[in-house]
Amino acid sequence: MSAPTRTPARARMSSPAPGPRIQPRRTTGVPYVLIVPALIALLLGLGYPLIWQIVTSFQKYGLSQQFGKPPEFVGFDNFANLVWDGEFWAVLVRSLLFCVVTAAVTVVIGVLMAVLMNAVGRTVRLILQISMLFAWAMPVAAATTVFIWLFDRRRGVVNYLLDAIPGVDMNRYDWLGNPLTFFFVASVLIIWMSVPFVSFAIYAGLTQISEEVMEAAQIDGAGAWQRFRRIILPMVRPVLSIVLLLQLIWDLRVFAQITLLKDAGSKSGDFDLLGTYIYKLGTATGDFGMASAVSIVVLLVTLAISWVYVRELIKEDEAQ
Amino acid sequence: MADGGDTPDTLRDYLKTEYKKATGGTLTIEEQGWGDALAKLQTALPDADNTPDVTEIGNTWSPTFTNVGAFSDISDMYDELGGDKLLTSFVDVGKVDGKNYALPYYFGSRYVFYRKDLYAAAGVEVPTTLPQLTEIAQKLHNDSTSGFYLGGEDWRNGVSWIFAYGGDLAKQDGDQWKSSLSDPKSIEGLEALQELYTSASNAPVTEADSTPWVNINTQPEAAGPEAATIIAPGWAHWSIGDLAPDPKDDTKQVATWNDEVFGAYVLPGVDGGVAPVFAGGSNIAISASSKNQAGARELMKIIFSKEYQEMLGANGLGPANSDYVSSLGDDQFAKALIESALGSKLTPAAVGWAGVEGSGLLEEFFGKVNAGGDVASLAAEYDKKIDELINKS
Repeated sequence: MSAPTRTPARARMSSPAPGPRIQPRRTTGVPYVLIVPALIALLLGLGYPLIWQIVTSFQKYGLSQQFGKPPEFVGFDNFANLVWDGEFWAVLVRSLLFCVVTAAVTVVIGVLMAVLMNAVGRTVRLILQISMLFAWAMPVAAATTVFIWLFDRRRGVVNYLLDAIPGVDMNRYDWLGNPLTFFFVASVLIIWMSVPFVSFAIYAGLTQISEEVMEAAQIDGAGAWQRFRRIILPMVRPVLSIVLLLQLIWDLRVFAQITLLKDAGSKSGDFDLLGTYIYKLGTATGDFGMASAVSIVVLLVTLAISWVYVRELIKEDEAQ
Repeated sequence: MADGGDTPDTLRDYLKTEYKKATGGTLTIEEQGWGDALAKLQTALPDADNTPDVTEIGNTWSPTFTNVGAFSDISDMYDELGGDKLLTSFVDVGKVDGKNYALPYYFGSRYVFYRKDLYAAAGVEVPTTLPQLTEIAQKLHNDSTSGFYLGGEDWRNGVSWIFAYGGDLAKQDGDQWKSSLSDPKSIEGLEALQELYTSASNAPVTEADSTPWVNINTQPEAAGPEAATIIAPGWAHWSIGDLAPDPKDDTKQVATWNDEVFGAYVLPGVDGGVAPVFAGGSNIAISASSKNQAGARELMKIIFSKEYQEMLGANGLGPANSDYVSSLGDDQFAKALIESALGSKLTPAAVGWAGVEGSGLLEEFFGKVNAGGDVASLAAEYDKKIDELINKS
């Protein structure tokens, strides 16, 4: 915020002395008033659902309650049920694995694309950027539908091409039919959609690395890999951390892609991740209490992942 | 009003005009895909500002919504709307403590469609018993054509085998329901289904209630159809036949039924006769939170009028009022529809049934059975899972 141009009357009276003037601290409530609308929007938009969710997670809240019957407070019952629910643990572990693998691959490919963009000439870079922008701007439903077509059992181009390789029998291979290949398709789809964001962010970081440093390193005899490992990576590390964190969080709560792929494949719980699991518990079977409890667990997991990073960022800040 | 996608446009227009005549008001019909309907109704119905005044609801979800108080009591209109003439099994799932909340809208039923050309080429006849059906399906079956195309997770069709062998999805004990997949008769049915699926269907285990008619039609540039036999809701016959580009829109295709190539029969029972199939169809009710109860009641009167009921019949949807069933006509589809509907069965009228359907447990269970799993142990496992939901509202 810029310094006030008008010196408050009180300050003028109390500091009449000549010499270097110390800017007095503003004591008006204006900043607080200005922040109120944002605060209200945040509280209403994020706070209300969050509080509702926390409250509901301690209640027995089903369809009857949705239609007006007063809910019953059940303490930690919903959470206790989760602890003994094998399916919940399976979904949680599956989601964590899925999110770690997907986010890691996304970031690796994203970094490589960024390095590539940095290395190539202007025209090629422009082509790369525009095509990635298209991928990034593609609505989830459209992208998922295209992927469903690509991997279609009967008419998909993926099976067609793989089957054309001599000795490979992929005719009518049902990619969405078993969890492993299902999540492979889901992962490829999500990576395809998220790489542009990562590579743009990293590319922006790369452009900040000064030519002189790179040149000096080269003169000192550092090879390409050494320059990447010892100079580029450390310098874009802050961007890298935040991008990886965001990817982890996004991939943990992925919902639309999994739902649409499930619509084209199986309704079975073996294909659920946390997002679809919560939806199934709450909206589909009407157990909003349990659904809220799982949501709270996801929130805690997200906070835990973020905390590691936030702590590291703070440490780095302090070191500087 | 909110409805599923099965009401034809001419019927919608009729409702709008008649509603205008009766009340001077405008009727807005909002269509919901069946996939999202359950979720949407849960959130829209309790909310006076967003609720449809009159809503169509899948018959199997009626007990759940009726029990939680989503609908207005319309017992006083029951006789005026048709009374005893209305389809009893549908009326029952919309009733609580002797009061009527949801009434039948239309009924559908499932029967079998087959390829006469393939049957003739394989030298097989239309089966008269369920075991015979498996036998001929195996003869018709090869890698590119399913003898009987049935998705592994397709429980809405698969359940007919449980019913046919005298089993049931759940049984009532006092006011509590218990899942009865482990009942010896249910297991017998499931094993018969497993045999049919594993030996005569190329459909993926993970395929549920989808669009089986695409498999019985010969698609352009395909050597032959994907299926010699399918089971589908009666109205599927509009989508079965020789395919040709739509003269009005050449990006689409129209199917013209061809009696030389296609035929229909009802699913046969274990020892002959007719197997009980899953009774498709919808109920209709007035939302309790609607601010326009009077208008909603007017609309109900129009829907249950002779004219509208006969329009439903003429469009292949089974009219709720038995007086007008003849409006379905007497062609082979109407006959198969009526014959299969007579023996059809509904899902349990349990409070938590909508939750059971929403949970996807039935798809999961049928998928695992058809993947070749041990029926008895799977049945025990899923009985336990379904019991946790079936009495819960």
